[in-house]
Amino acid sequence: MNTSMKRFVVAGMLGGIVWGWVAMALNSATGAFEFEGSFVHDLITFAVGGAVFGTIVAGFLCLVGDIIPFRNRLLRAVLVSTSLWLLLKTGGTLLSHMDHERYHLVTSQTIQGLFLAVILGCIIWLFWKKEAKLRIEA
Amino acid sequence: MEKIFEKEVLLKALFPALVVVAMAFTMVVIAYGVESVAPGVHDAFHDFRHVIGMPCH
Repeated sequence: MNTSMKRFVVAGMLGGIVWGWVAMALNSATGAFEFEGSFVHDLITFAVGGAVFGTIVAGFLCLVGDIIPFRNRLLRAVLVSTSLWLLLKTGGTLLSHMDHERYHLVTSQTIQGLFLAVILGCIIWLFWKKEAKLRIEA
Repeated sequence: MEKIFEKEVLLKALFPALVVVAMAFTMVVIAYGVESVAPGVHDAFHDFRHVIGMPCH
């Protein structure tokens, strides 16, 4: 992995951790889902989950960013994060059709998830900008 | 010598793609709580899955 990509993916991972905690805060505000785990447990799992999602969005941005027909980096990041979420959601919907008892959809959580995917793109863009600025200054 | 160079270039190109694919696999396991792949992942990421709008019981 080349250095700039590595740095960007690490920035994406950090952005993802922040996004995980933002997701927790947003859910507390909207009340779309009542937390079942303890605060500390959720703090850790949301950070881990967010790190995975952030890393993937940053990785995909590095790999396919140039073929996206937008010049604007914010739009690129939002497009990649939202597309990934939609892809997962499509898979989830298929699973729900196959095994309705095990997987069922909740509209309020779906809307919240879509909104969070957009926020993830924005956060990744912010960390991307910050990383690029630090690289220029170094 | 040329072959070694080619191998190195191929590895450099493939490695980032493999890392992203591995992480994508992890994302799928977390998002759907695939217990058969990682026992305990369903319960561990239950709240996370609901909050990001993925289907769950």
